[in-house]
Amino acid sequence: MIGNDLVDLKLAAKQSNWQRKGFLDKLFTPDEQGYILNSDNPFETVWLLWSMKESAYKAYLQTHNERFFAPKKLECNLISKNRGTVLINNVLFVTESEIGEAFIYTVAFTKNHENKFLTDCFRFEHLDFKNQQSQTYHKVLTAFANQLKFPVAQLKIEKNNQGVPQLFWGEMLLENSFSLTHHGNFGAFTIAF
Amino acid sequence: MEKEVLITALKKIVKPYIQDEEAFENLSENTDFIKDLKINSANLVDVILDVEDEFDIIVDNESMEKMLTVKAALEIIETKLSEK
Repeated sequence: MIGNDLVDLKLAAKQSNWQRKGFLDKLFTPDEQGYILNSDNPFETVWLLWSMKESAYKAYLQTHNERFFAPKKLECNLISKNRGTVLINNVLFVTESEIGEAFIYTVAFTKNHENKFLTDCFRFEHLDFKNQQSQTYHKVLTAFANQLKFPVAQLKIEKNNQGVPQLFWGEMLLENSFSLTHHGNFGAFTIAF
Repeated sequence: MEKEVLITALKKIVKPYIQDEEAFENLSENTDFIKDLKINSANLVDVILDVEDEFDIIVDNESMEKMLTVKAALEIIETKLSEK
């Protein structure tokens, strides 16, 4: 399974105040709060850990059909600045993150997908939510069309009852694991092989 | 507190975080914070902190885990208020 999550740092600074009372306690374990408070850039570390949690959770949901909001049950461990793991109910995900000036982007995958995925990040011209979603869908469908050698017009994405996007060829559900994310000016997709 | 009053108070709390105006206008007990209102998942914690402040309650981790819909939020608020 594979998941991804992108945080537009400028927008995150506007949307959330990580120093708000209770914020860190509700989202992060004591170990994770240690990473944040001992970091040279606590703001960046907050969003790095958050993107690790979100990306792993999105991968986890593909095989566990029940949503929950329990950020502290998604336990992060940093191996290096760009690489870590997230443990969710005994399922382990490896994470690889790109930490830039403008955004942080993480891909989380189960061990069997190590080095076996395609990912792409892009910048949007417009901030409209629905428009961004349709652009992201179009990008991932084009990538699947190239990979599977199907005409793009025969492929579609629909969300299941848990909000997890799934790939269809005509009416047939394909099992390919993939993940989509967009926030602020940026979007990304990832596809597992 | 009556349900209508609670829903009105909750609507005021979530307003700054929603990204789907239409779903917000049609908010009901069945509304999902993330799927319908498109609230950013990092902002869900702000909704929970605001609920704690507004009603002077503590939303424990177990309750928070289920707080994905208006219905679940109302149940949690009602339970916590009755325990006071």
